[in-house]
Amino acid sequence: MKGLAPLFLGIFGTFAFSWVGLTLIPNWQIGHLNPQSDEEGTDIYPMPQSGMVTRGARVYAANGCNYCHSEQVRAEYSGADIERKWGDRRSAPRDYIFERPVLLGKMRMGQDLANIGARAPKEEESPSPTGGASPAPQGAAASPSAVASAKAASSPPATSPSPATAPATSPGAIASKPPASPGPAGPPPSKSPAAAAAASPAASPRPSAPPWPEQTAGLPPMYSAAWHHVHLYSPRSINFDSNMPSYRFLYETRRITDARSSDALQLTGSDAPREGWEIVPTYDAKCLVAYMMALNQSHPLKEVRSAGASAAASPAASPPPAPGGQPAK
Amino acid sequence: MNSTGIPLKEPAISAAAGDTEQLERALIDASTRVPVLIFYTSAVAWLILGTLLAGFVSFKLHTPDLLSDIGFLTWGRVRPVHMNVMVYGWASMAGMGTAIWLMARLCRTVLRYPLLLVAGAGFWNLGVFLGVCGILLGDSTGYQWLEFPSYAAIILFVAYTLVASWAVLMFRFRRGEQIYITQWYLLGAFLWFPWLYAAGQLMLFVVPVQGVLQAAVGWWYANNLLFLWFGAIGLGTAYYMIPKVIGRPVYSYHLATIGFWSYALFSSWTGMQRLVDGPFPAWMVTASIAATILTLIPVATVGLNHHMTMQGYFPLMRYSPTLRFTVFGAMSYTVFSLVGVLISLRSVARYVNFTQASIAYSHLGLYAFFTMVIFGSMYYIVPRLIGREWRYGSLIKLHFWASAYGIGLMTLMLLAGGLTQGASMENPSLAFSESVESVLPYLRGRSLSGILLMVSHFIFAYHFGLMLFGLGRKSTVPTFLNPVEAEGAEVAH
Repeated sequence: MKGLAPLFLGIFGTFAFSWVGLTLIPNWQIGHLNPQSDEEGTDIYPMPQSGMVTRGARVYAANGCNYCHSEQVRAEYSGADIERKWGDRRSAPRDYIFERPVLLGKMRMGQDLANIGARAPKEEESPSPTGGASPAPQGAAASPSAVASAKAASSPPATSPSPATAPATSPGAIASKPPASPGPAGPPPSKSPAAAAAASPAASPRPSAPPWPEQTAGLPPMYSAAWHHVHLYSPRSINFDSNMPSYRFLYETRRITDARSSDALQLTGSDAPREGWEIVPTYDAKCLVAYMMALNQSHPLKEVRSAGASAAASPAASPPPAPGGQPAK
Repeated sequence: MNSTGIPLKEPAISAAAGDTEQLERALIDASTRVPVLIFYTSAVAWLILGTLLAGFVSFKLHTPDLLSDIGFLTWGRVRPVHMNVMVYGWASMAGMGTAIWLMARLCRTVLRYPLLLVAGAGFWNLGVFLGVCGILLGDSTGYQWLEFPSYAAIILFVAYTLVASWAVLMFRFRRGEQIYITQWYLLGAFLWFPWLYAAGQLMLFVVPVQGVLQAAVGWWYANNLLFLWFGAIGLGTAYYMIPKVIGRPVYSYHLATIGFWSYALFSSWTGMQRLVDGPFPAWMVTASIAATILTLIPVATVGLNHHMTMQGYFPLMRYSPTLRFTVFGAMSYTVFSLVGVLISLRSVARYVNFTQASIAYSHLGLYAFFTMVIFGSMYYIVPRLIGREWRYGSLIKLHFWASAYGIGLMTLMLLAGGLTQGASMENPSLAFSESVESVLPYLRGRSLSGILLMVSHFIFAYHFGLMLFGLGRKSTVPTFLNPVEAEGAEVAH
């Protein structure tokens, strides 16, 4: 090859071609999306995230959760994500416009978490002013299929909390949890129906739907904030086969001063702290759980077909088409 | 000097051109000594650290309770540290060392401005060190291969600017009009990396793009780093070492031209195939899949070129450590690209998208291809810097086989495990946890391969350390892997 100029120009040109083609043009196409809203300008989705959620996202990234958990639901024609009840529609670019960092993930050594917040039992939502409209019984609302029908019935119960309410919402949700379950010693029988109810509706369409074979009695309802704390602290107390590391360094063990903290983890068996001690989440752990509770893509998007709308194509999908989920393509 | 009669070291030109050329070459080699050795020594130190971390990460993945109560040792922090130490500590530094040496030789001039390089190496080490500490302390950004927090990234960029400006300066001092094939690749690598790094940092951290585009930019960066930085250095090195060791010119200059430009054009468009079925416009993914398939053109031309150059000289791999490692790496480039095409096809990607198969792919590229080529080049270059030959042929052999079997086993385990995992994940009648359980045996197998690689790297580091302390063999004959007497005579010419 003669001369430096053609070489240099070629090196520059190929790179510029790729840069324009794969980053600038996509940025022009989907880089300036706005939240969607209905005609009256209400029902805005997605909403900006609260401070706690943003910090939780940083905790999530800092501890590498994204190396094992993805946050994207693939379309029906590709993969079994929707059949696994990880969401009732595929993820779309608009779902992520307020997320930073965007942690789509490349590996699934653990479940997809795109809708982990939507899978929380509905009572979690009750402190939120917007969620009060949902009359659904707590047990029935736990499965994503039920979420779809609940969404059809009511105003968005599962949208991410607005910035003003969210910092109060999530700790509130955590705080409201332990009083719901009686006492630290926690007589299991009174709690287990809720846990069982939370798990069972998911099992209705397919016998295999519960994600884990073992659901120990005495735990908080699956995917509730309190449940996440127990799971983060001791994953194998919930699912014996889990290969998730425990995140005990996000929790502190402290002596109970006057009364047991309302945040204290409801641990049983060998994980339970000694008499007179309790295990409470640090602020980072609370943020992390607030972040997970805010991961929710159940709100229908105009540009994406929801699973309910595609029911005609796949007879296995049981719930009736959600009115908001009509295909717009 | 070629007492064995095998053209393993200097090709035939040296006989014709006479002693002046050899003297010149020795002078150039001597001038590269300090900077290149600084890069190599740092790289080997990072390699050992990265290897230890790799073993730790690999074991933790199937033994999650191992040391999990300590925040900075949690799997999710040690894993990015391992990746970044390997990518920026080992591979980049070793690659730069080789590239600097090649640059000086091919520009046929003594190395100028060595202080630029020494400062560059110092800052680079500092940047990697700060980045590693940052990730361990919980400052990771969460983007693959860009996890280093911004304070480390800036230092890396400064360090890199020093090295790249040195490369451009050297180019201006080159003698002769001819620009060698290797130099295309090296110049490309030296110029692509800063643009790439700057573009990635700018679009993710300075003026971040919106939403999912961050993930797209992240993968665009990571893939181009693999191809335009490591791939370009690796291919350039192979283009130098193979003809040099066997003493015959590259088979076809035209093939090389086609190979280089199609490589630059197509490989830079790959990357989005890793986002297949994600929340992106379908055309992005399709364009990258098409580009991935089109990279078969450079693979075919480069592979053919190397093969035809080697034609008739393959038996020399029995003797020359450089040739053996380099040819292994060059062959792995073909395998790496074929696997890349295979797992990017939509029908296959459905199964392997979220599985360990993508880990197999990046290890094929970074280890089986790039690292093996760089090992080969180090076996060639280090004796010329130090004036001693490698002490033990047996250690080199052991290093090669442990590395070859280690990476082979790892690739097979991760590919097979990925397919199994993907097949179980794809089947909604199986609980999700079954897909995790189905891959665990393969992950244990991968840990086994990690032990092999650890053995190989410790052997190499020991051997390299001996060289560094001047404990190599004093001899004019290079260290061969096998004794050359009997068969050697037939092979030569």
